[in-house]
Amino acid sequence: MAELGDIQNEFIRAEIEEYLERPEEIERNIELFSRSRPKMQDMAAALIDGDNDTVDQLTREALDEGIEALEVMDDGLIAGMGIVGIKFRENIIFVPEVLACARAMKAGMAHIEPILSASGIDPVGTVIMGTVKGDLHDIGKNLCIMMLRGSGFVVHDLGVDTSEDEFMDAVEEHEASLLGMSALLTTTMPNMGKTIEAFIDADLREDVKIMVGGAPVTQEFADDMGADGYGKDALACVDLAKQLLEEIEEEQNA
Amino acid sequence: MTSKERVLAALEGKPVDRTPTCNPTSVATVELMDLVDAPFPNANREPELMARLAATGHTELGFDTIMPVFSIIQESSALGCKIQWEQKDNWPTVRMAEPIWETAEDIVIPDDFLTHQDTHCVLEAIRILKREYGDDVAIIGKTMGPWSMGYHCFGVEPFLLLSLDDPDATKRILDGLKEATVDFGVAQIEAGADALTLPDHATGDLVSGEYYARYLQDLHVEFVERIPIPLILHICGRTVDRMDYIAQTGMAAFHYDSKNKPGESMEIVKDRIALVGNINNPETLFSKGPEEVSAEVTDNLTSGVNLIGPECAVPLQTAVENLKAIPETVESWSNN
Repeated sequence: MAELGDIQNEFIRAEIEEYLERPEEIERNIELFSRSRPKMQDMAAALIDGDNDTVDQLTREALDEGIEALEVMDDGLIAGMGIVGIKFRENIIFVPEVLACARAMKAGMAHIEPILSASGIDPVGTVIMGTVKGDLHDIGKNLCIMMLRGSGFVVHDLGVDTSEDEFMDAVEEHEASLLGMSALLTTTMPNMGKTIEAFIDADLREDVKIMVGGAPVTQEFADDMGADGYGKDALACVDLAKQLLEEIEEEQNA
Repeated sequence: MTSKERVLAALEGKPVDRTPTCNPTSVATVELMDLVDAPFPNANREPELMARLAATGHTELGFDTIMPVFSIIQESSALGCKIQWEQKDNWPTVRMAEPIWETAEDIVIPDDFLTHQDTHCVLEAIRILKREYGDDVAIIGKTMGPWSMGYHCFGVEPFLLLSLDDPDATKRILDGLKEATVDFGVAQIEAGADALTLPDHATGDLVSGEYYARYLQDLHVEFVERIPIPLILHICGRTVDRMDYIAQTGMAAFHYDSKNKPGESMEIVKDRIALVGNINNPETLFSKGPEEVSAEVTDNLTSGVNLIGPECAVPLQTAVENLKAIPETVESWSNN
Protein backbone atom coordinates (compact mmCIF):
# COMPACT_ATOMS: atom_id res chain seq x y z
CA MET A 1 0.00 0.00 0.00
CA ALA A 2 1.37 3.41 -0.97
CA GLU A 3 2.33 5.93 1.67
CA LEU A 4 2.55 9.71 1.76
CA GLY A 5 6.35 9.52 1.75
CA ASP A 6 6.24 7.76 -1.60
CA ILE A 7 5.14 11.02 -3.22
CA GLN A 8 8.20 12.89 -4.41
CA ASN A 9 6.74 16.38 -4.72
CA GLU A 10 6.89 18.16 -1.36
CA PHE A 11 4.05 20.56 -2.22
CA ILE A 12 1.68 17.71 -3.07
CA ARG A 13 2.58 15.88 0.14
CA ALA A 14 1.85 19.04 2.11
CA GLU A 15 -1.46 19.58 0.32
CA ILE A 16 -2.65 16.07 1.13
CA GLU A 17 -1.45 16.24 4.72
CA GLU A 18 -2.86 19.65 5.47
CA TYR A 19 -6.13 19.81 3.54
CA LEU A 20 -7.50 16.30 2.97
CA GLU A 21 -9.50 14.80 5.80
CA ARG A 22 -11.72 12.09 4.33
CA PRO A 23 -9.88 8.75 4.52
CA GLU A 24 -11.01 7.59 1.09
CA GLU A 25 -9.80 10.83 -0.52
CA ILE A 26 -6.45 10.67 1.28
CA GLU A 27 -5.96 7.07 0.22
CA ARG A 28 -6.99 7.72 -3.39
CA ASN A 29 -4.68 10.73 -3.76
CA ILE A 30 -1.69 9.05 -2.12
CA GLU A 31 -2.18 6.11 -4.43
CA LEU A 32 -2.52 8.35 -7.47
CA PHE A 33 0.43 10.65 -6.82
CA SER A 34 2.78 7.98 -5.51
CA ARG A 35 2.68 6.14 -8.83
CA SER A 36 2.80 9.20 -11.09
CA ARG A 37 5.99 10.59 -12.61
CA PRO A 38 7.74 13.47 -10.82
CA LYS A 39 6.99 15.77 -13.73
CA MET A 40 3.28 14.99 -13.42
CA GLN A 41 3.42 15.71 -9.72
CA ASP A 42 5.16 19.01 -10.45
CA MET A 43 2.47 19.84 -13.00
CA ALA A 44 -0.31 19.08 -10.55
CA ALA A 45 1.41 21.21 -7.92
CA ALA A 46 1.68 24.13 -10.34
CA LEU A 47 -1.98 23.77 -11.26
CA ILE A 48 -3.05 23.75 -7.61
CA ASP A 49 -0.96 26.89 -7.18
CA GLY A 50 -2.72 28.55 -10.12
CA ASP A 51 0.57 28.88 -12.00
CA ASN A 52 -0.57 28.66 -15.61
CA ASP A 53 2.85 29.51 -17.07
CA THR A 54 4.50 26.56 -15.34
CA VAL A 55 1.64 24.22 -16.27
CA ASP A 56 1.98 25.33 -19.87
CA GLN A 57 5.74 24.79 -19.85
CA LEU A 58 5.61 21.40 -18.12
CA THR A 59 2.87 20.16 -20.44
CA ARG A 60 4.94 21.04 -23.49
CA GLU A 61 8.03 19.45 -21.98
CA ALA A 62 6.16 16.27 -21.08
CA LEU A 63 4.72 15.87 -24.55
CA ASP A 64 8.09 16.61 -26.13
CA GLU A 65 9.61 13.90 -23.96
CA GLY A 66 7.12 11.43 -25.41
CA ILE A 67 4.81 11.10 -22.42
CA GLU A 68 1.34 10.16 -23.64
CA ALA A 69 -1.20 12.97 -23.73
CA LEU A 70 -3.71 10.90 -21.76
CA GLU A 71 -1.18 10.33 -18.98
CA VAL A 72 -0.35 14.04 -18.86
CA MET A 73 -4.05 14.89 -18.62
CA ASP A 74 -4.90 12.25 -16.03
CA ASP A 75 -1.83 12.33 -13.79
CA GLY A 76 -0.90 15.99 -14.13
CA LEU A 77 -3.96 18.09 -14.82
CA ILE A 78 -6.94 16.09 -13.59
CA ALA A 79 -5.02 14.94 -10.53
CA GLY A 80 -4.31 18.56 -9.63
CA MET A 81 -7.90 19.65 -10.18
CA GLY A 82 -9.00 16.85 -7.88
CA ILE A 83 -7.19 18.52 -4.98
CA VAL A 84 -8.56 21.92 -6.06
CA GLY A 85 -12.10 20.58 -5.98
CA ILE A 86 -11.68 19.22 -2.47
CA LYS A 87 -10.19 22.48 -1.16
CA PHE A 88 -13.06 24.43 -2.76
CA ARG A 89 -15.65 22.15 -1.23
CA GLU A 90 -14.08 22.61 2.19
CA ASN A 91 -13.92 26.41 1.83
CA ILE A 92 -10.15 26.42 2.02
CA ILE A 93 -10.06 28.25 -1.29
CA PHE A 94 -12.77 30.28 -2.97
CA VAL A 95 -13.84 31.21 -6.47
CA PRO A 96 -10.91 33.49 -7.41
CA GLU A 97 -8.45 30.69 -6.63
CA VAL A 98 -10.53 28.12 -8.51
CA LEU A 99 -10.64 30.44 -11.51
CA ALA A 100 -6.85 30.68 -11.44
CA CYS A 101 -6.52 26.89 -11.25
CA ALA A 102 -8.98 26.48 -14.12
CA ARG A 103 -6.93 28.93 -16.13
CA ALA A 104 -3.87 26.79 -15.46
CA MET A 105 -5.77 23.65 -16.48
CA LYS A 106 -6.82 25.36 -19.68
CA ALA A 107 -3.20 26.24 -20.44
CA GLY A 108 -2.27 22.58 -20.26
CA MET A 109 -5.34 21.35 -22.10
CA ALA A 110 -4.57 23.67 -25.01
CA HIS A 111 -1.73 21.26 -25.86
CA ILE A 112 -3.58 18.06 -24.89
CA GLU A 113 -6.94 18.51 -26.60
CA PRO A 114 -5.74 18.52 -30.21
CA ILE A 115 -3.82 15.29 -29.59
CA LEU A 116 -6.75 13.54 -27.93
CA SER A 117 -9.18 14.71 -30.59
CA ALA A 118 -6.93 13.41 -33.35
CA SER A 119 -6.45 10.09 -31.59
CA GLY A 120 -10.19 9.46 -31.32
CA ILE A 121 -9.97 8.67 -27.62
CA ASP A 122 -13.39 8.87 -26.00
CA PRO A 123 -13.79 11.38 -23.20
CA VAL A 124 -15.22 10.34 -19.84
CA GLY A 125 -18.53 11.73 -21.04
CA THR A 126 -20.13 14.54 -23.01
CA VAL A 127 -22.15 17.15 -21.15
CA ILE A 128 -24.28 20.03 -22.33
CA MET A 129 -24.39 22.87 -19.80
CA GLY A 130 -26.39 26.07 -19.74
CA THR A 131 -28.20 28.58 -17.55
CA VAL A 132 -31.92 28.51 -18.22
CA LYS A 133 -34.02 31.02 -20.16
CA GLY A 134 -34.28 34.44 -18.54
CA ASP A 135 -31.30 33.91 -16.27
CA LEU A 136 -27.99 35.65 -16.99
CA HIS A 137 -26.03 34.31 -14.03
CA ASP A 138 -23.29 31.85 -14.87
CA ILE A 139 -20.56 31.74 -12.25
CA GLY A 140 -21.96 28.57 -10.66
CA LYS A 141 -22.43 26.92 -14.04
CA ASN A 142 -18.93 27.93 -15.08
CA LEU A 143 -17.42 26.47 -11.92
CA CYS A 144 -19.20 23.19 -12.65
CA ILE A 145 -17.89 23.26 -16.21
CA MET A 146 -14.34 23.86 -14.98
CA MET A 147 -14.57 20.93 -12.58
CA LEU A 148 -16.20 18.68 -15.20
CA ARG A 149 -13.49 19.48 -17.75
CA GLY A 150 -10.97 19.05 -14.98
CA SER A 151 -12.32 15.54 -14.55
CA GLY A 152 -12.07 14.60 -18.21
CA PHE A 153 -15.54 15.41 -19.47
CA VAL A 154 -16.12 17.19 -22.75
CA VAL A 155 -18.47 20.06 -22.00
CA HIS A 156 -20.39 22.16 -24.49
CA ASP A 157 -21.28 25.42 -22.81
CA LEU A 158 -24.46 27.02 -24.14
CA GLY A 159 -23.99 30.08 -21.97
CA VAL A 160 -26.86 31.94 -20.34
CA ASP A 161 -30.50 32.58 -21.19
CA THR A 162 -30.74 29.19 -22.90
CA SER A 163 -34.03 28.11 -24.44
CA GLU A 164 -35.54 24.64 -24.43
CA ASP A 165 -34.85 24.30 -28.14
CA GLU A 166 -31.21 25.25 -27.69
CA PHE A 167 -30.78 22.58 -25.01
CA MET A 168 -32.46 19.94 -27.19
CA ASP A 169 -30.54 20.88 -30.32
CA ALA A 170 -27.23 20.71 -28.46
CA VAL A 171 -27.97 17.32 -26.92
CA GLU A 172 -28.81 15.94 -30.35
CA GLU A 173 -25.93 17.61 -32.19
CA HIS A 174 -23.26 16.46 -29.75
CA GLU A 175 -24.94 13.14 -28.86
CA ALA A 176 -24.54 14.15 -25.25
CA SER A 177 -25.56 11.71 -22.58
CA LEU A 178 -25.73 14.39 -19.89
CA LEU A 179 -27.43 17.77 -19.64
CA GLY A 180 -26.83 20.20 -16.81
CA MET A 181 -29.07 23.21 -16.17
CA SER A 182 -28.37 26.05 -13.79
CA ALA A 183 -30.60 28.79 -12.36
CA LEU A 184 -29.81 31.46 -9.81
CA LEU A 185 -33.25 33.06 -9.66
CA THR A 186 -36.44 31.57 -8.27
CA THR A 187 -38.21 33.24 -11.20
CA THR A 188 -36.25 31.17 -13.72
CA MET A 189 -36.19 27.83 -11.86
CA PRO A 190 -39.51 26.76 -13.42
CA ASN A 191 -37.82 26.87 -16.83
CA MET A 192 -35.91 23.77 -15.78
CA GLY A 193 -39.19 21.92 -15.51
CA LYS A 194 -40.35 23.36 -18.83
CA THR A 195 -37.17 22.18 -20.51
CA ILE A 196 -37.61 18.68 -19.13
CA GLU A 197 -41.20 18.71 -20.41
CA ALA A 198 -39.95 19.80 -23.82
CA PHE A 199 -37.58 16.81 -23.90
CA ILE A 200 -40.51 14.53 -23.04
CA ASP A 201 -42.74 16.05 -25.72
CA ALA A 202 -39.97 15.70 -28.30
CA ASP A 203 -39.45 12.07 -27.32
CA LEU A 204 -35.87 12.82 -26.31
CA ARG A 205 -36.14 12.34 -22.56
CA GLU A 206 -34.85 8.78 -22.58
CA ASP A 207 -31.75 9.84 -24.52
CA VAL A 208 -30.23 12.02 -21.81
CA LYS A 209 -29.74 12.24 -18.07
CA ILE A 210 -30.61 15.68 -16.74
CA MET A 211 -29.00 17.25 -13.70
CA VAL A 212 -29.83 20.61 -12.17
CA GLY A 213 -28.28 23.04 -9.72
CA GLY A 214 -28.09 26.63 -8.60
CA ALA A 215 -28.46 28.59 -5.41
CA PRO A 216 -32.28 28.38 -5.01
CA VAL A 217 -32.56 24.82 -6.35
CA THR A 218 -33.06 21.95 -3.91
CA GLN A 219 -33.20 18.17 -4.15
CA GLU A 220 -36.93 18.38 -3.56
CA PHE A 221 -37.39 20.84 -6.39
CA ALA A 222 -35.23 18.72 -8.70
CA ASP A 223 -37.32 15.64 -7.90
CA ASP A 224 -40.59 17.50 -8.49
CA MET A 225 -39.38 18.68 -11.88
CA GLY A 226 -38.36 15.19 -12.98
CA ALA A 227 -34.61 15.80 -13.08
CA ASP A 228 -32.31 12.81 -12.70
CA GLY A 229 -30.12 14.50 -10.14
CA TYR A 230 -29.28 17.63 -8.17
CA GLY A 231 -25.79 18.92 -7.45
CA LYS A 232 -25.38 21.37 -4.60
CA ASP A 233 -21.95 22.57 -5.68
CA ALA A 234 -19.33 22.14 -8.40
CA LEU A 235 -17.68 19.08 -6.91
CA ALA A 236 -21.04 17.43 -6.29
CA CYS A 237 -21.85 18.12 -9.95
CA VAL A 238 -18.85 16.05 -11.02
CA ASP A 239 -19.75 13.18 -8.68
CA LEU A 240 -23.32 13.31 -9.96
CA ALA A 241 -22.20 13.29 -13.58
CA LYS A 242 -20.09 10.20 -12.95
CA GLN A 243 -22.93 8.51 -11.11
CA LEU A 244 -25.37 9.23 -13.94
CA LEU A 245 -22.91 7.78 -16.45
CA GLU A 246 -22.77 4.59 -14.39
CA GLU A 247 -26.57 4.47 -14.42
CA ILE A 248 -26.57 4.82 -18.20
CA GLU A 249 -24.10 1.96 -18.49
CA GLU A 250 -26.16 -0.24 -16.19
CA GLU A 251 -29.30 0.54 -18.17
CA GLN A 252 -27.56 -0.29 -21.41
CA ASN A 253 -26.25 -3.57 -20.01
CA ALA A 254 -29.60 -4.57 -18.54
CA MET B 1 -44.44 54.16 18.14
CA THR B 2 -44.98 54.76 14.45
CA SER B 3 -43.41 52.31 12.03
CA LYS B 4 -40.81 54.90 11.19
CA GLU B 5 -39.91 55.56 14.80
CA ARG B 6 -39.69 51.84 15.46
CA VAL B 7 -37.36 51.16 12.52
CA LEU B 8 -35.08 54.12 13.22
CA ALA B 9 -34.88 53.23 16.90
CA ALA B 10 -33.93 49.63 16.05
CA LEU B 11 -31.28 50.87 13.64
CA GLU B 12 -29.88 53.13 16.34
CA GLY B 13 -29.87 50.41 18.96
CA LYS B 14 -32.55 52.10 21.03
CA PRO B 15 -35.57 50.49 22.74
CA VAL B 16 -38.59 49.62 20.63
CA ASP B 17 -42.19 48.74 21.43
CA ARG B 18 -41.89 45.62 19.28
CA THR B 19 -39.41 44.25 16.78
CA PRO B 20 -39.83 46.02 13.44
CA THR B 21 -40.46 44.12 10.23
CA CYS B 22 -38.42 45.20 7.31
CA ASN B 23 -37.14 44.16 3.94
CA PRO B 24 -34.13 46.21 2.95
CA THR B 25 -34.13 44.59 -0.48
CA SER B 26 -37.50 43.95 -2.14
CA VAL B 27 -40.94 42.55 -1.35
CA ALA B 28 -42.30 43.05 -4.86
CA THR B 29 -44.28 40.06 -6.13
CA VAL B 30 -46.40 39.37 -9.20
CA GLU B 31 -49.46 39.20 -6.98
CA LEU B 32 -48.76 42.71 -5.63
CA MET B 33 -48.01 43.99 -9.12
CA ASP B 34 -51.45 42.80 -10.23
CA LEU B 35 -53.10 44.26 -7.13
CA VAL B 36 -51.94 47.80 -7.86
CA ASP B 37 -51.40 47.50 -11.63
CA ALA B 38 -47.69 48.23 -11.43
CA PRO B 39 -45.99 45.44 -13.35
CA PHE B 40 -42.35 44.80 -14.09
CA PRO B 41 -40.45 45.87 -16.08
CA ASN B 42 -42.13 49.30 -16.05
CA ALA B 43 -42.29 49.45 -12.26
CA ASN B 44 -38.49 49.46 -12.32
CA ARG B 45 -38.33 52.47 -14.65
CA GLU B 46 -41.35 54.73 -13.94
CA PRO B 47 -41.46 56.55 -10.58
CA GLU B 48 -45.21 56.46 -10.05
CA LEU B 49 -45.40 52.72 -10.69
CA MET B 50 -42.28 52.12 -8.60
CA ALA B 51 -43.75 54.05 -5.67
CA ARG B 52 -47.16 52.41 -6.00
CA LEU B 53 -45.72 48.90 -5.99
CA ALA B 54 -43.26 49.65 -3.20
CA ALA B 55 -46.00 51.03 -0.96
CA THR B 56 -47.75 47.65 -0.91
CA GLY B 57 -44.96 46.42 1.36
CA HIS B 58 -46.59 48.52 4.08
CA THR B 59 -50.20 48.90 2.98
CA GLU B 60 -50.80 45.26 1.99
CA LEU B 61 -48.17 43.28 3.84
CA GLY B 62 -47.88 45.32 7.02
CA PHE B 63 -44.11 45.86 7.02
CA ASP B 64 -42.73 48.88 8.86
CA THR B 65 -40.72 49.93 5.84
CA ILE B 66 -41.21 50.84 2.22
CA MET B 67 -38.31 50.12 -0.11
CA PRO B 68 -38.81 51.06 -3.78
CA VAL B 69 -35.69 49.62 -5.42
CA PHE B 70 -36.67 46.11 -6.46
CA SER B 71 -33.53 45.19 -8.35
CA ILE B 72 -29.81 45.94 -8.35
CA ILE B 73 -29.32 47.45 -11.78
CA GLN B 74 -29.92 51.17 -11.40
CA GLU B 75 -26.36 52.39 -10.86
CA SER B 76 -24.89 50.00 -13.42
CA SER B 77 -27.48 51.07 -15.97
CA ALA B 78 -26.58 54.71 -15.36
CA LEU B 79 -22.89 53.85 -15.73
CA GLY B 80 -23.59 52.35 -19.15
CA CYS B 81 -24.06 48.64 -18.55
CA LYS B 82 -26.47 46.76 -20.79
CA ILE B 83 -29.59 45.62 -19.03
CA GLN B 84 -31.88 42.71 -19.89
CA TRP B 85 -35.26 44.05 -18.81
CA GLU B 86 -37.32 40.82 -19.01
CA GLN B 87 -41.06 40.69 -18.40
CA LYS B 88 -43.41 40.94 -15.45
CA ASP B 89 -42.37 37.64 -13.91
CA ASN B 90 -38.61 38.17 -13.90
CA TRP B 91 -36.12 40.70 -12.61
CA PRO B 92 -34.07 42.96 -14.86
CA THR B 93 -30.45 41.85 -14.89
CA VAL B 94 -27.15 43.36 -15.95
CA ARG B 95 -25.59 41.59 -18.92
CA MET B 96 -22.39 40.81 -17.09
CA ALA B 97 -21.18 38.70 -20.01
CA GLU B 98 -20.87 42.04 -21.87
CA PRO B 99 -18.74 44.10 -19.46
CA ILE B 100 -18.23 47.77 -20.25
CA TRP B 101 -14.77 48.20 -18.71
CA GLU B 102 -11.48 46.33 -18.48
CA THR B 103 -9.26 48.44 -16.23
CA ALA B 104 -9.65 50.91 -13.40
CA GLU B 105 -8.60 53.65 -15.78
CA ASP B 106 -11.72 53.01 -17.87
CA ILE B 107 -14.03 54.04 -15.02
CA VAL B 108 -16.04 57.17 -15.67
CA ILE B 109 -18.97 58.34 -13.57
CA PRO B 110 -20.97 60.17 -16.24
CA ASP B 111 -22.29 63.68 -15.68
CA ASP B 112 -25.85 62.44 -16.00
CA PHE B 113 -25.38 59.63 -13.44
CA LEU B 114 -28.11 61.01 -11.17
CA THR B 115 -30.42 62.15 -13.95
CA HIS B 116 -30.29 58.90 -15.94
CA GLN B 117 -33.76 57.35 -16.21
CA ASP B 118 -33.00 54.54 -13.79
CA THR B 119 -31.35 56.51 -10.99
CA HIS B 120 -33.77 59.40 -11.41
CA CYS B 121 -36.67 56.96 -11.14
CA VAL B 122 -35.53 55.91 -7.68
CA LEU B 123 -35.06 59.50 -6.49
CA GLU B 124 -38.47 60.51 -7.73
CA ALA B 125 -40.13 57.42 -6.25
CA ILE B 126 -38.59 58.23 -2.87
CA ARG B 127 -39.95 61.79 -3.10
CA ILE B 128 -43.43 60.44 -3.84
CA LEU B 129 -43.26 57.95 -0.98
CA LYS B 130 -41.91 60.57 1.40
CA ARG B 131 -44.88 62.82 0.63
CA GLU B 132 -47.46 60.07 1.03
CA TYR B 133 -46.05 57.89 3.80
CA GLY B 134 -42.97 59.59 5.15
CA ASP B 135 -44.46 60.74 8.45
CA ASP B 136 -45.25 57.23 9.64
CA VAL B 137 -43.31 54.70 7.60
CA ALA B 138 -39.55 54.33 7.18
CA ILE B 139 -38.55 54.90 3.54
CA ILE B 140 -35.48 52.86 2.70
CA GLY B 141 -33.44 53.58 -0.41
CA LYS B 142 -30.65 51.53 -1.91
CA THR B 143 -27.18 52.30 -3.24
CA MET B 144 -25.00 49.52 -4.63
CA GLY B 145 -21.51 49.03 -3.27
CA PRO B 146 -18.38 49.04 -5.43
CA TRP B 147 -17.75 45.26 -5.25
CA SER B 148 -21.19 44.57 -6.72
CA MET B 149 -20.71 47.24 -9.36
CA GLY B 150 -17.34 45.65 -10.11
CA TYR B 151 -19.14 42.44 -11.07
CA HIS B 152 -21.55 44.35 -13.28
CA CYS B 153 -19.06 46.61 -15.03
CA PHE B 154 -16.09 44.27 -15.40
CA GLY B 155 -17.75 40.85 -15.48
CA VAL B 156 -17.82 38.47 -12.54
CA GLU B 157 -14.98 36.16 -13.56
CA PRO B 158 -12.59 38.85 -14.85
CA PHE B 159 -13.18 40.87 -11.68
CA LEU B 160 -12.61 37.92 -9.36
CA LEU B 161 -9.49 36.84 -11.25
CA LEU B 162 -8.16 40.38 -11.09
CA SER B 163 -8.72 40.41 -7.33
CA LEU B 164 -6.21 37.57 -7.12
CA ASP B 165 -3.83 38.62 -9.90
CA ASP B 166 -3.62 42.32 -9.11
CA PRO B 167 -4.92 43.51 -5.72
CA ASP B 168 -3.72 47.06 -6.35
CA ALA B 169 -5.68 47.30 -9.59
CA THR B 170 -8.71 45.87 -7.82
CA LYS B 171 -8.47 48.53 -5.12
CA ARG B 172 -8.22 51.22 -7.77
CA ILE B 173 -11.43 49.88 -9.30
CA LEU B 174 -13.18 49.95 -5.94
CA ASP B 175 -11.96 53.48 -5.30
CA GLY B 176 -13.24 54.56 -8.68
CA LEU B 177 -16.65 53.00 -8.23
CA LYS B 178 -17.19 54.06 -4.62
CA GLU B 179 -17.98 57.60 -5.76
CA ALA B 180 -21.09 56.27 -7.51
CA THR B 181 -22.14 54.65 -4.24
CA VAL B 182 -21.69 57.89 -2.33
CA ASP B 183 -23.30 60.14 -4.94
CA PHE B 184 -26.42 58.01 -5.31
CA GLY B 185 -26.69 57.48 -1.57
CA VAL B 186 -26.49 61.17 -0.73
CA ALA B 187 -29.00 62.00 -3.46
CA GLN B 188 -31.49 59.57 -1.90
CA ILE B 189 -31.05 61.23 1.49
CA GLU B 190 -31.89 64.55 -0.16
CA ALA B 191 -34.92 62.91 -1.78
CA GLY B 192 -36.20 61.84 1.62
CA ALA B 193 -34.87 58.39 2.45
CA ASP B 194 -34.67 57.52 6.14
CA ALA B 195 -32.11 54.74 5.69
CA LEU B 196 -30.24 53.08 2.87
CA THR B 197 -29.53 49.50 1.97
CA LEU B 198 -26.00 49.04 0.67
CA PRO B 199 -25.60 45.70 -1.12
CA ASP B 200 -21.99 44.76 -1.71
CA HIS B 201 -21.87 41.13 -2.75
CA ALA B 202 -18.60 39.86 -1.32
CA THR B 203 -20.50 36.73 -0.43
CA GLY B 204 -19.03 33.68 1.24
CA ASP B 205 -20.29 31.69 -1.72
CA LEU B 206 -17.68 33.45 -3.85
CA VAL B 207 -14.90 34.96 -1.73
CA SER B 208 -13.31 34.52 1.69
CA GLY B 209 -13.94 36.57 4.81
CA GLU B 210 -10.36 37.76 4.55
CA TYR B 211 -11.29 39.29 1.21
CA TYR B 212 -13.95 41.36 2.92
CA ALA B 213 -11.39 42.64 5.43
CA ARG B 214 -8.83 43.32 2.74
CA TYR B 215 -10.97 44.99 0.12
CA LEU B 216 -14.16 46.30 1.66
CA GLN B 217 -14.03 46.90 5.38
CA ASP B 218 -12.25 50.27 5.15
CA LEU B 219 -14.49 51.34 2.28
CA HIS B 220 -17.57 50.54 4.32
CA VAL B 221 -16.20 52.60 7.21
CA GLU B 222 -15.73 55.42 4.72
CA PHE B 223 -19.32 55.09 3.53
CA VAL B 224 -20.54 55.47 7.11
CA GLU B 225 -18.61 58.74 7.29
CA ARG B 226 -19.66 60.09 3.88
CA ILE B 227 -23.30 58.96 3.66
CA PRO B 228 -24.94 60.49 6.75
CA ILE B 229 -27.87 58.15 7.28
CA PRO B 230 -28.32 54.69 8.83
CA LEU B 231 -26.77 52.19 6.42
CA ILE B 232 -27.90 48.58 6.14
CA LEU B 233 -25.17 46.43 4.59
CA HIS B 234 -26.50 43.51 2.56
CA ILE B 235 -24.35 40.52 1.62
CA CYS B 236 -25.93 37.24 0.49
CA GLY B 237 -24.75 33.77 1.32
CA ARG B 238 -22.48 32.50 4.08
CA THR B 239 -21.06 35.42 6.00
CA VAL B 240 -20.39 34.32 9.59
CA ASP B 241 -16.67 34.45 8.86
CA ARG B 242 -16.88 38.16 8.10
CA MET B 243 -19.58 39.33 10.49
CA ASP B 244 -16.99 40.39 13.06
CA TYR B 245 -15.35 42.67 10.48
CA ILE B 246 -18.75 44.00 9.40
CA ALA B 247 -19.69 44.72 12.99
CA GLN B 248 -16.70 47.04 13.28
CA THR B 249 -17.62 49.26 10.31
CA GLY B 250 -20.08 51.50 12.11
CA MET B 251 -22.90 50.50 9.77
CA ALA B 252 -26.30 50.55 11.45
CA ALA B 253 -27.33 47.07 10.39
CA PHE B 254 -26.37 43.95 8.50
CA HIS B 255 -29.00 42.22 6.37
CA TYR B 256 -28.03 38.56 6.59
CA ASP B 257 -28.86 35.39 4.70
CA SER B 258 -30.53 32.19 5.90
CA LYS B 259 -27.28 30.29 5.43
CA ASN B 260 -26.27 31.82 8.76
CA LYS B 261 -28.09 30.83 11.95
CA PRO B 262 -29.70 33.69 13.91
CA GLY B 263 -28.24 32.70 17.26
CA GLU B 264 -24.74 32.18 15.92
CA SER B 265 -24.88 35.48 14.05
CA MET B 266 -26.10 37.44 17.07
CA GLU B 267 -23.32 35.87 19.14
CA ILE B 268 -20.73 37.20 16.74
CA VAL B 269 -22.01 40.75 16.26
CA LYS B 270 -23.38 41.22 19.78
CA ASP B 271 -24.62 44.81 20.16
CA ARG B 272 -22.17 46.39 17.72
CA ILE B 273 -24.53 46.27 14.74
CA ALA B 274 -28.20 45.45 14.29
CA LEU B 275 -29.13 42.34 12.33
CA VAL B 276 -31.94 42.23 9.75
CA GLY B 277 -33.32 38.98 8.38
CA ASN B 278 -33.23 36.19 7.68
CA ILE B 279 -36.32 34.31 6.49
CA ASN B 280 -35.35 31.83 3.79
CA ASN B 281 -36.59 32.76 0.31
CA PRO B 282 -36.46 29.72 -1.99
CA GLU B 283 -37.17 26.96 0.53
CA THR B 284 -39.58 28.73 2.87
CA LEU B 285 -41.21 31.89 1.55
CA PHE B 286 -41.43 30.57 -2.01
CA SER B 287 -42.03 26.88 -1.41
CA LYS B 288 -43.78 26.43 1.92
CA GLY B 289 -46.58 28.06 3.88
CA PRO B 290 -47.28 30.59 6.64
CA GLU B 291 -46.58 28.06 9.39
CA GLU B 292 -43.04 27.44 8.24
CA VAL B 293 -42.50 31.18 7.75
CA SER B 294 -43.73 31.79 11.26
CA ALA B 295 -41.29 29.25 12.69
CA GLU B 296 -38.32 31.03 11.13
CA VAL B 297 -39.59 34.40 12.31
CA THR B 298 -39.85 33.04 15.83
CA ASP B 299 -36.31 31.67 15.67
CA ASN B 300 -35.07 35.14 14.79
CA LEU B 301 -37.15 36.78 17.50
CA THR B 302 -35.97 34.43 20.22
CA SER B 303 -32.39 35.02 19.13
CA GLY B 304 -32.88 38.75 19.54
CA VAL B 305 -32.51 39.71 15.87
CA ASN B 306 -33.24 43.42 15.70
CA LEU B 307 -35.37 43.70 12.53
CA ILE B 308 -37.18 40.75 10.98
CA GLY B 309 -37.67 40.20 7.27
CA PRO B 310 -36.85 38.03 4.26
CA GLU B 311 -33.20 37.26 3.65
CA CYS B 312 -33.10 39.00 0.26
CA ALA B 313 -35.38 40.23 -2.54
CA VAL B 314 -38.33 37.87 -2.33
CA PRO B 315 -39.06 35.52 -5.22
CA LEU B 316 -41.59 37.21 -7.50
CA GLN B 317 -44.00 34.29 -7.21
CA THR B 318 -44.05 34.35 -3.40
CA ALA B 319 -47.57 34.18 -2.00
CA VAL B 320 -48.73 37.31 -0.22
CA GLU B 321 -50.04 35.24 2.69
CA ASN B 322 -46.51 33.98 3.33
CA LEU B 323 -45.13 37.51 3.43
CA LYS B 324 -47.95 38.65 5.71
CA ALA B 325 -47.02 35.87 8.09
CA ILE B 326 -43.86 37.80 8.98
CA PRO B 327 -45.45 40.89 10.58
CA GLU B 328 -48.35 38.79 11.87
CA THR B 329 -45.98 36.50 13.73
CA VAL B 330 -44.00 39.41 15.14
CA GLU B 331 -47.22 41.07 16.32
CA SER B 332 -48.44 37.89 17.92
CA TRP B 333 -45.10 37.19 19.59
CA SER B 334 -44.88 40.67 21.02
CA ASN B 335 -48.39 40.42 22.46
CA ASN B 336 -47.56 37.24 24.37
